[in-house]
Amino acid sequence: MSFNVLIVDDSHSMRSVIKKIIAISGFKMDQCYEAGNGKQALEILSKTWVDVILSDLNMPEMNGMELLSALKGDNVLQEIPVIIVSTEGSEERRKLVLKMGAKQFIKKPFSPEHVRKILYEVIGVGDDGTYEGNERDVESGDF
Amino acid sequence: MMGHMKEMNETLRAAIFDVFERMYYVFLEPFHDECSEYDVGSSIKFDGALHGELMILVSEELAKTMVQNLLGVESEEVTEQDIEDCVKEAANMICGDFLSKLDQTKVFDLSIPVFIRRPRGFREGNKACSVSFDAESGVFGAVLSLSE
Repeated sequence: MSFNVLIVDDSHSMRSVIKKIIAISGFKMDQCYEAGNGKQALEILSKTWVDVILSDLNMPEMNGMELLSALKGDNVLQEIPVIIVSTEGSEERRKLVLKMGAKQFIKKPFSPEHVRKILYEVIGVGDDGTYEGNERDVESGDF
Repeated sequence: MMGHMKEMNETLRAAIFDVFERMYYVFLEPFHDECSEYDVGSSIKFDGALHGELMILVSEELAKTMVQNLLGVESEEVTEQDIEDCVKEAANMICGDFLSKLDQTKVFDLSIPVFIRRPRGFREGNKACSVSFDAESGVFGAVLSLSE
């Protein structure tokens, strides 16, 4: 099974890093869409379906919290699992985004291994408890 | 007050080490003199239990190394846009990590980082602390300012 992924971050380099981690984690990625803020993400979601969204919180125009609210208010889009990838590390903020519908929270700076682990938790584990993709260990040297 | 400043300084250093080692695979050495050989920088404001601004300062060569290591590209492939994006994201990560290390129970709002070309280096004023580092490919500094 392959996945469509949407990465939402105003930093082009951060989007590239996340995309690379997903690619070398063994997930079979079909399409990887990129958006620089929540507004662009919603435009993409109005035209196509994705299986998982990885979104930053602190972005211009429409931030990650506003994106979560918009997704939660949509009967179809609220089904897409969202992983927040942010520099913000307070427990209160973390609890709030999970309450708003995010499935997981990854704090920047992150290790590739941690991102992979969270992806497996959110989308990667099949009914038999294993992932069907070409899994291999991700080390820092892979970058 | 002095104890508080010392804690801030140590926490800022810890956040810088974490971000550089985990995201850029760059190992920094503390540098005790204030340096003025910075080519680019980024500032980010924070608001919450503390209000202030963090400015980071980077030499061009170190900024290039950061981009190369982060994106896995060769030196000649690094663009001006990559450097701007990378330095802004570094400011964002260092500030977020510093604040959560300082107090994980408090919520802070961060501004969108601003890129600065040819920063003027360390300035006096309401700066709470400043740190300088040396790396194989260049120098890095950070200045934390607090406001009422």
